Amino acid sequence: MTHQQGISLGEAPGGAMNRLRRTLARRTEGRALALLIIVVIVTAIMEPIAFTAYEVTLGRIALIGLVALGLTAVILMGELDLAVASTLAVAGVVMASIDNLALGILTALVVGLVIGAVNAFFVVVVGINSFIATLGMLFFLRGAAFVLSGEEPVRLSDIDAGIAFGKPLIGDLTPRMLLFILAFLALHIFVTRVRAGREFYAVGGNRQAAYDAGIPVRRRIFTGFMISGFVAALAGIINTLERTAADPTAGSTVLLASFAAAIIGGVLLTGGRGSVFGTLLGAASLGILQVALTLSGVQVDVQNIVIGSVLFIAVITDPNSLRSVLGSARSFFRGRSRASPTQ
Amino acid sequence: MTQEKSTDVTQVAPSDAPKTADDSRGETAASRRNVKALDWLSQRGIFVFTILLIVFAAIFIDGFASLVNITDVFNRAAPIGIVAVGMTFVVITGNYLDLSVVAQVATAAVVLIAVSNESTILAAMGLALLIAVAYGLVNGVAVGVFKANAVIVTLSTTFIGLGLLRWLTGGSIYFGPQDGAIRSFGLAKLGPFPLAMLVLIVVTLILSWVLNQTNFGFLVKSYGSNREATRLAGVNTAWVVIGAFGLSALGAMIGGFVLGAFSNTAVSAMSTGFDFRALAAIIVGGTSVFGGRGSVLRTLLGVVFVSVLTNIMVLSGLTFGVQQMVIGALIVAAVSVDALARKAAS
Repeated sequence: MTHQQGISLGEAPGGAMNRLRRTLARRTEGRALALLIIVVIVTAIMEPIAFTAYEVTLGRIALIGLVALGLTAVILMGELDLAVASTLAVAGVVMASIDNLALGILTALVVGLVIGAVNAFFVVVVGINSFIATLGMLFFLRGAAFVLSGEEPVRLSDIDAGIAFGKPLIGDLTPRMLLFILAFLALHIFVTRVRAGREFYAVGGNRQAAYDAGIPVRRRIFTGFMISGFVAALAGIINTLERTAADPTAGSTVLLASFAAAIIGGVLLTGGRGSVFGTLLGAASLGILQVALTLSGVQVDVQNIVIGSVLFIAVITDPNSLRSVLGSARSFFRGRSRASPTQ
Repeated sequence: MTQEKSTDVTQVAPSDAPKTADDSRGETAASRRNVKALDWLSQRGIFVFTILLIVFAAIFIDGFASLVNITDVFNRAAPIGIVAVGMTFVVITGNYLDLSVVAQVATAAVVLIAVSNESTILAAMGLALLIAVAYGLVNGVAVGVFKANAVIVTLSTTFIGLGLLRWLTGGSIYFGPQDGAIRSFGLAKLGPFPLAMLVLIVVTLILSWVLNQTNFGFLVKSYGSNREATRLAGVNTAWVVIGAFGLSALGAMIGGFVLGAFSNTAVSAMSTGFDFRALAAIIVGGTSVFGGRGSVLRTLLGVVFVSVLTNIMVLSGLTFGVQQMVIGALIVAAVSVDALARKAAS
């Protein structure tokens, strides 16, 4: 809707510009695809090991991608879950502190679901903006991870399981990859084929209209946050199994990368637009980027600069932002504010 | 609970909104009391809670009511307080918060010590000011012009800024000279009060004046309560946002100076936790995260509350993890009260 308005007000600063903007607005995955192509080409020239050692790269993509998938479910509804990184850490610590592996995994998953439900409670029932509610939860859970672990990494008692977990299961695919693929397919089918999932778009696109259409908005938001908490806990479990220890500080780099993956993948922060496939493309490009940087011996600090810049560029180049910049530029040159579009 | 009530009373009335329930007609007494209580709690509760907390600490916590400890509380409160009063402007514009203060404070402290070791203090302060302006512009333009989400923008600038700082310094610790001007400022006291506390009070008074008496302050509140109306009134809203992030950056810079002077050392990790402590102080002080209303003076009270609470936890031997849990819970609780007050009022 806002897009059409943008065109009608556009008065063509050149046909190519218009066409570019139309393409940008229609496909949400464009930026992720562009980044992926650039990253793949540069990596292939500079650091081809990132592709020959593809188990490492795929593993990285799976970890970033899992967290980003959960975020996608929440962002589609115009909410945000900043607590994912701490959820990952808490779930890992909980799992490692329980001796029985199966029981530990189960408890960790339940913890993820409960955290998601608590987030949703503050957003839906109390009515706090999800940015602030989940930010508070991020700090709270980060502290909780420290308290539960006694401020040091918790060793997994069943190390054999961790080693077995890193071995290929089907073909070259490790269980981590398989879980990621399963989660991707499940979420993709959920938001494109299942009614409840498709209603996520409605909730994010126009919440009032969704209410009026009889969509149980509150229940959908609860579902979204619980998906996000569950998936983040799953990522924490996988991470702990692979490292055979749970680090209470885990997840701070994943936080940045997974946000960048979801946002550059075209999931609009205001909700209602985006695709799970775009998130996959975003996760793939950031995973390859991270592994390539690590392999070429770039320090963690510089990696943070690079991934932080990707996130920064991703968040200021989404279609809404570009439109409002074009609008203000136009009104600036004309000296009046009529043409500047609303958000 | 659901009666009609002029929402603008709660949204626009800037710092003083005690008479929210006075002009409402046809409400049940119970709901009016409810609104009044919640509104009072989110606006005025901080006075009572701070006093209660201090009384509690003085009676029950060993070592709280000693001169050494009080001076220590002030020393630690000053940098966080200066950061918080600056960040209050960002919160009032309705842009949640400025997470990048963590990077900004550390950068200012490192620049102050490292550059003044090589050159003069004035050069160090000049460079830090340039960096602060850059932070304010980058955050402000991304949020104000590009209309990007403030949490995500400042999250990314935090990582970029801290990454740059650690990369350029190689993570090393900088020590100031034992007899330098910075050291003597950090140690200076007025009676039991460290000089840093005076800086905090002066900065608070100036920013309070900016918020309440200047045109810019009015626009900040107006933008926070209704963006569209402010824009349609012909205000260049981008500059309001850039200004708010600029003040936040200046506050973070001065906070970094004070922090660096107090310890006479600087390292990139020294400002960990400034983001959520400052946010907690602002929100506990009754500035609404929904934007539009808030007060710099009450943020100062919030700083006292959070600092005393942290001091109590440290004296009781609680670990950093527990402290983080408590502050996180405090943020969620304070915002919940604000949100419920709003719900009840509308």
